[in-house]
Amino acid sequence: MTGSRTKGLLPLYALAVALPFVLLIVSLHIGAFPVPLKAVWATVRDAVVPGGPGAAAGPYADILFRIRLPRLLLALFAGAALAVSGASLQAIFKNPLVFEFSLGISYGAAFGAALSLVFLGRSFPAQISAFLFAIVAVLLVLLIAGKASSQIISILLSGIIVSALFQALLSMVEFFANPYALQALIFWLMGSLAHATWSDLSLTMPVIGLGVLVLVLLRWRMNVLSLGEDEARSVGLNVKREKILIVVVATLTTAAVTSVTGVINWIGLIIPHLVRMMVGADNRKVIPLSASFGACLLLVADDIARSAASFEIPIGILTSVVGIPFFIILLKRSGKVWL
Amino acid sequence: MTVEVRALTFTYGTFTLRVPEQGFAEARITAIVGPNGAGKSTLLKCLASVLPAPRGAVRVGGRDLHGLPGKDRARLVGYVPQEPSFTFNYEVLDFVLTGRGAFIPAFSSPSRRDIEMAEEALRFVGLDGFARRPFLELSSGERRLVLIARTLAQQPAVLLLDEPTTFLDPRHEVEMLDLLKRLAREKDKTVIVTLHNLDMAVKYADDMVFMKDGAVVASGRPQEVVSPPLLKTVYEIDMDIVRTNGRLIIVR
Repeated sequence: MTGSRTKGLLPLYALAVALPFVLLIVSLHIGAFPVPLKAVWATVRDAVVPGGPGAAAGPYADILFRIRLPRLLLALFAGAALAVSGASLQAIFKNPLVFEFSLGISYGAAFGAALSLVFLGRSFPAQISAFLFAIVAVLLVLLIAGKASSQIISILLSGIIVSALFQALLSMVEFFANPYALQALIFWLMGSLAHATWSDLSLTMPVIGLGVLVLVLLRWRMNVLSLGEDEARSVGLNVKREKILIVVVATLTTAAVTSVTGVINWIGLIIPHLVRMMVGADNRKVIPLSASFGACLLLVADDIARSAASFEIPIGILTSVVGIPFFIILLKRSGKVWL
Repeated sequence: MTVEVRALTFTYGTFTLRVPEQGFAEARITAIVGPNGAGKSTLLKCLASVLPAPRGAVRVGGRDLHGLPGKDRARLVGYVPQEPSFTFNYEVLDFVLTGRGAFIPAFSSPSRRDIEMAEEALRFVGLDGFARRPFLELSSGERRLVLIARTLAQQPAVLLLDEPTTFLDPRHEVEMLDLLKRLAREKDKTVIVTLHNLDMAVKYADDMVFMKDGAVVASGRPQEVVSPPLLKTVYEIDMDIVRTNGRLIIVR
């Protein structure tokens, strides 16, 4: 029975492996300056095959590799990270509605970026401060929840309180900001992958990649940790230590993403739900599949953001506008079994 | 393995559990009985090391549970809660596999051997064929059996069950207690179970422990220990005892 079940999922796994690559090639083709698919393929092939004809020096190499590729890679990594972090936090907090937003990470990061953009100027990378305040937000949430932090409700309430606090602080910064800084800030808050450069990526990609890897490796453990606290302890686990590890890794990963992309919500909620509807609740399947489909979703969303209008649509707005109705439809249609 | 409790104290709000000395014998069923709030479940959780650091010692097979690494503790005691507290609709086999948690390194997944143990546990409780059923589709009796299967997959020497028969109809109640009997007789498990149904406790338990107000009032074999005055003390109502064909029947 185990065998037939796994066999049934093989096409899905194959799709999960292949789709990001296919979408990456297609996405290289999309953009303000049209590069024919054939040329994309030729350029990629030349770059991948060492010493191929005119290695990576084709007429399109600059556009594809210097401008588009870092952005697309960021979309893939960020999408995977947001989805996997969301799925992990949902598992260990035993609550399918927990994601980076409910732990205060989004607004913590937003405030951090605002502070930096307004007071340190645009030349100083806002990521550092965004990252730091995302961590501060989660620490505050855990501190306020205190001894009761094993209880979901106290975590969620603390998350709301901390988000509200950082929202207020953010408004204050906005109030005092000069028009130029304000403009930069508002664009950052809407979320965008447009500013991805190789140097940004070289800083954040290792953090994001490592975080996703650790969470994927811990996938079965999350099944055990998603049981009741008493049960997990009686099974023989050091529940507290392992939960803290996962919260820290998921926070660092999300904070690293948010610090480069701005606020992109809903991926961490939608993707894990979709995946659970397809394959059930087992995190051995949910976590890796969330990584793949999260990456694909953000990549496609960014393609739409880049090409749907004559101007670029902020991707944070797009994920929310598309994500929320989609989510409502999913909840309504799937009836009772939506966990 | 035998379980020995020494000078155990656990305080929660205004409630205090105090057990100076109590033993639980190997390969037997011990039923812990008493009114609501007597401390039955608390004692059970202390025995399972689920409640954080109570004062005193719980020794299983001579080893103090306190301070033991999770893996060693998991081999000694397994705890079966009354209802699982879970959010996600796992398939039965995935749920049972979590019982192997202590023996599988954090960064790895269950092996073929772990899966076999889980399947064997499901067979023992009579749920073969249920492996791929989603947990939420099961009846409450079946869910209890899955919980027991998970603890069996953990393979502890001592099984601690918190009111496994509550809300079960008479047939499932009897089947559950027969299962516990098989665990004690066939697998030599030390079975410690809290029960509300006195008749069933008297019928199935090899030993009984009567609790009231956080203390053990009496313990021993049902035939020897159960008496109208004891029942009056523990439950504060009058009950009679009828003995027929060597069986005890409690009449309210």
